[in-house]
This record gives sequence, C-alpha cells and structure tokens, in this order.
Amino acid sequence: MIDTQRNNYDKYMMLATMPLIFCGVVLHGPRVLLICLNAMITARAVDVLVSMLQHTDLDTKDNSSVQSAIIFCLLMPVNIPFYAITVTVALVVLIGKYVFGGKGVYPFNLAALATCVACVNWPNKVYNAVVPFADVNLWTGETTSVVMSNAAIIKEGGVPGYSLANMLLGNYPGVMGADFILVIAAIGIFMIYKKLITWHAPVTFLLTTAVIAFIFPRIYGFSRVASVEMELLNGSVLYSALFMLNEPTTTPKTRRGKVAFGFLVASLGMLFRYRGNVEFGISFALLFVNAIEGYIDRVVNMDWVSDFGKNSIEYFKSLNNKTEKIEEKAIETSEAMELIGEVEDNIDDVIYSTRTFDVREILRLEEENNHKKGGRKNEK
Amino acid sequence: MKNKDFSYLYQNWDDTVRRRKVFLSNPVFIKGLALAPLTIAATTLDNGIILSIAVFLLLTPTRIITSLITRKMSVPFKTFFYPFVSAIIFAFVYYYMYRVMGSKVMVLGVYLPILVVDPIIVKNFEKTRKESVLYSIINGLRNTAGFIVACILISATREFLGLGTIYGIQIIKAPLLPMAQNSFGGFLIIALYCALWSNMVAKYKYKVEVEARHNERISKIDD
Repeated sequence: MIDTQRNNYDKYMMLATMPLIFCGVVLHGPRVLLICLNAMITARAVDVLVSMLQHTDLDTKDNSSVQSAIIFCLLMPVNIPFYAITVTVALVVLIGKYVFGGKGVYPFNLAALATCVACVNWPNKVYNAVVPFADVNLWTGETTSVVMSNAAIIKEGGVPGYSLANMLLGNYPGVMGADFILVIAAIGIFMIYKKLITWHAPVTFLLTTAVIAFIFPRIYGFSRVASVEMELLNGSVLYSALFMLNEPTTTPKTRRGKVAFGFLVASLGMLFRYRGNVEFGISFALLFVNAIEGYIDRVVNMDWVSDFGKNSIEYFKSLNNKTEKIEEKAIETSEAMELIGEVEDNIDDVIYSTRTFDVREILRLEEENNHKKGGRKNEK
Repeated sequence: MKNKDFSYLYQNWDDTVRRRKVFLSNPVFIKGLALAPLTIAATTLDNGIILSIAVFLLLTPTRIITSLITRKMSVPFKTFFYPFVSAIIFAFVYYYMYRVMGSKVMVLGVYLPILVVDPIIVKNFEKTRKESVLYSIINGLRNTAGFIVACILISATREFLGLGTIYGIQIIKAPLLPMAQNSFGGFLIIALYCALWSNMVAKYKYKVEVEARHNERISKIDD
C-alpha cells in the first residue's frame, strides 16, 4: 500500500474512534479521555525516541502507533491503571513495530498485540467490566462497581440479563469503547461506503462467527438465534471486525486472501473463546493468523486453485519447468550475491587495513574470468 | 587510558576480545551461551545467585579436569567425556549447595542439573588444540565472571519488573511488567540486554579504532 493510502487509513481510523471515545466519556466519565491521551502521548514519545536513536527525522505523517494505541485503549475497562497502559503501549510500539522494521512492515496487528500483552500481564485488571455511570476515581481508577463481563458470563454458561436495546447502545457493564454496537456499525458502514476499508474480511469474519455460534451454541435453554445474537453482540466481536481486521500492513492484500483471513480469524477466535482461558480470544487468534498472512495471499491466489480441475500430470510437469527456470535464476542470483559479498569484504579491508583494493579492478577481473569461462564453454 | 594503550588494544584486538570475557565477549550477551537456565530459572535475584554459585563451582573444575585428561583424545570422545566429567562434579556441587542453602536449590527444578550439558560448561570439547591447566583455570574464571555479571543483571531486572522487589525487598508496590516472570518476558529482557551490550561493545571498538588511528597519524607527523 502506498504511503498516502496508509497515512489516510491511520488518520481516518483515529477519526472513527472519536465517536466511541465520546460515548465512553458519557458512560464512564472523563477518565476515558485521560487514558486515551496517555496512550497517544506514550506512542508518540516512543516514535520520537526511536527516531532519535536512529538519527532520523520523525515521520509526522506516520500515525500507526497512535491509531493502534487508541484502538487498544477502547478494548480496556475504565478502571485499568495508567501505568499498565503506558507500559503496554511503549512495549508494543518499541518491540511490535520498530524491532520488526517500523512503519508498513511490522507483521502483527499492534492493537491486538497490545491487548494480548495487557491480558497476560494484568489479567485481574483487564477482565473487568465497570457498570455505566458508576463513580470511578479520575486518577486511580478505583471503583466499587466492578462486575463480570458479558463474555465471562457466557463462558460460564450463563446468559447476560440485558435487553437487546441496551446491548446495542452499549448500556451495560463492559469496556470503554468497544461495546457501542450501533455506533460501531454506523462507523463501519460509513467507512466501507467511503472505501476506507473493504467488506471482505469483516463480513466473512462475522458470518463465520455466526455460523459457528449457530451450530455450536454455548448458551443452553435458548434458541440458536439467541446464541448467535449473544456471541456477536459481546466480546468486542464487531469492534475487532471493523477496527483490527482491516489494517493494511498486517492483512492480506487480495480479496480472496481477505476472505480466507476473516474465516481463519473467526474460526480460531471462536475456538479460543470456547476452549481458552481468555476473553479476548479474537486478539490472540488475530496474532496467530497475522503470522501466516503472506502465505494466505500466496496460497489462495495460486493458479492451482483454478487448474485443479485440469489434468494434474500436465500441471505438475509445468511446475517442474518452472522450478528449473527458478533454479537457474537462483544460481545466477547466488553467484551475483557471492561477488557482491567479495566486493563488500574488500571494501571493509580498504577502511580498516593498510592494504588498498580497487573495486573497479576487481569487477573488471571478474568479468574477464567470466568471459574466459564463457569462451571455454563455447570451445567445448 | 593512555595513547599507547589504545594503539596496543587496536593492534591486538582479537586477543583483547578473547581475554575480556566480562564485557567484550560476555558469554551470555555476546556469545549467547546459557540462555535456557537464564530464561526459565533466573526469575529472581535469589535464583540468579544460586545459578551463579553453581556455575562457579562447576565450570572451572570441569575445564581443569578435562584439560588434563583429554589431551590425547579425539573430538568425538571429548564430546562424551566433557558432560560425563561435569555430571560427576555436579553431584558433589549439588550436595554441597543443598547442605548450605537447603531447599532453595530445588526451586530451580531441572534447570540446575541442565547446566551439566549447557554450552557454557562443555563447549570446549570442539576445540582441537590442547589447553594447559593454567589457561583452563584463567579462562574458566573469566567465563564464570562474565556469566555471573549477566546472571545478576538479568535476574535482578526480571525480579524488579515482574514482582517490584529486589532480593525480596519491596521497591515499588505494583510491578511494572509481570510477564517478566514468564519465559516470554525473560526472552524479551535478555534480547534487550544483548542489543544494548552489543551496542556498547561496538561503540567501544569504534572509540579504540579512532584513538589508535589518531595516535598513528600523530606519530607519523612527529617522525
């Protein structure tokens, strides 16, 4: 994805989270804003620190760290301590982004990675649900209104006792910003209409989740449709589908790849939710599938998908021809790489010893040797 | 440092690196030895001290005995002999440590006996040249010192970040990074230390080169 498209994505994602932050402030108080600001400042501070260490100018258009920090924050409960957010965001931006190469090349979704890091480090603080309109201390986050989240209730085999209207509006104990289903759906429809994100991965993800919830309901004594409703409306499913499954750096680039990606994340995510000890199974599943994202693109777009119906022997023969050509190219490439390596070694010797080497002379001698070899072959 | 020292260091850089096992060729941060016990077992400073004592009592005696006995052995036989000697010495080391420290030693589980086959103890089996007893003592102590520095740093950092304490003394109420107590966090912390250490070594090497070249130019001008 080119830089401007990537920068636009980050910018619009940050704008898309503003309504959710506003809803969070209304339900849980101004601490939501403080936490988001804390995360944004930490992410930007790490960007500045890394640019100083690398002796490069800060890329002010790169908002991927800040955007990921906000998306992560909205998955957390309002009573999470400030230091947990700071440490998590700093660690994830430094190690999850810059250690893997920086902007545009990191392999793992930063928001999902941050969620997983927070879950592993502070499970008793992350797996909380604060009652809306409760009294939460602005600085310490202390509150007496902490209950089990809906996802935890479903995991225990129970049924959350909130009306559909409350669940769609997010008016139930939950996280800061990922529970406002109607608002998230409206944002998602707007982003798809404006072509800021594509529908392939989120729709596949939601459909697969619904099918699995329909076939294997966790809630007993209720209809399968009710099970689908509970699974889709709880556990930040819709939020993850729209805000985490469309990041251009960590998701497949082709349509088929995105469909396969959505299917895999949903399948693994439901497996983690059903059988795992974590509530944020989708974040863990997303990291797992991010690791094979490039392979997904290659596999689902290979010609064998359409050639499978044809004569397989002819197809494998053609593969052999292709591999021979690839081997020839590989040999040429490896010889070129050896030559480059020799030249680089000699360049190092020029700097660190009293011997001197002329790189052009070396390349000229190599060319002469190659011509001689070519001459001998012709003679044969 | 005197000008002559920089020139000497630069001219004998390989020897210098081989000798300075605490900083320039630290066995953990530069050579990557003994990572398994440090990642899994060195979660507190107490455990780090126990590991350090075990390596101190195990490494040098193993090298001395093996240097005496394996002078005329080929490498395949050395491969079996080194862990065999270290296992015998470990039996006495473990007994002594259990007498002195009690059940604390058992907290490390299998990662204390695993030192017997750890590369930091047995990696010399692959060397073909003979090693004198004096050289094996000096080198053994240097490697031990390098390991102890690394072990103390890693275990103290992991305890501080993971539990908020150092040697059981509470420093901060809420731990900053509880996953430092897991192997995942241990890997991250060791990796960060390795990066930092390599950077410091590279800067020191650059400084030595610059000073040595500066001295060379000055001596040429004087001539």
